[in-house]
Amino acid sequence: MKNMIKKILLGIVAGLISGLFAAGGGMIVVPILTHVFKMDEAKARATCIFAILPMVITSGFFYYSNNFIDWQTGVKCALGGIIGGFLGAKLLKIASNKVLKITFIIFLAYVSIKLII
Amino acid sequence: MMEVLTGVISGVVSGTGMGGGTILILILSVFMGIDQHIAQATNLIFFVPTSITAIITTIKDKLIDWKIGIPVAISGIIGAIVGAKISVNMDVEHLKKYFGYFLILITIYEIYSLIKLYKKDSKRNNNVNYNLERRF
Repeated sequence: MKNMIKKILLGIVAGLISGLFAAGGGMIVVPILTHVFKMDEAKARATCIFAILPMVITSGFFYYSNNFIDWQTGVKCALGGIIGGFLGAKLLKIASNKVLKITFIIFLAYVSIKLII
Repeated sequence: MMEVLTGVISGVVSGTGMGGGTILILILSVFMGIDQHIAQATNLIFFVPTSITAIITTIKDKLIDWKIGIPVAISGIIGAIVGAKISVNMDVEHLKKYFGYFLILITIYEIYSLIKLYKKDSKRNNNVNYNLERRF
């Protein structure tokens, strides 16, 4: 029962974030699954993507009915995303996870300050 | 062309499990000047096909924990309805600011996990040294 409440709470928070920002739900779900539910990384990521998809489709419906969808940009980005997925898998074998993480952190810190100011 | 490049970068980051969608939205809105709402909606389009492919492979590999995934997904839909309703009615400047605050939290968490990664590595190195010493 207590576990069920935790799962529902996690879902609501992740859904709120997904709806609000259309991103970042996974950045909450994966750490909670590994730390609170003691899942290993691969399982946590897989379960996370499965759980996030319905949230994304739901939010997408609201963005769509408010005319926020730009198909041209979307399709071009998705195309790049497919290429990036392949490249990423290769890059991970060359560059270490740490280097990528540090780059990501610097970028995030810079941009979040830019967004707030 | 810039859009395709943005997609490539986000795809690479997604592979590392560090929020490819966040990067996509940030490049579109902060660097290309696309409206925050449209940038966010673009990520939704971006996410669906890639995640469906990922789900199919992970089902085959039996990696999804259904007992946790299903309740999280269902309650997540409720959260998403509330979140999306708030988001589409919020003005762009506020939305950007809140996104910024959220990203600062994520940055702090990423720094914490990086430190943990370093600690784990140095521990492993110590163990290796210890084993070597014992052997000789």
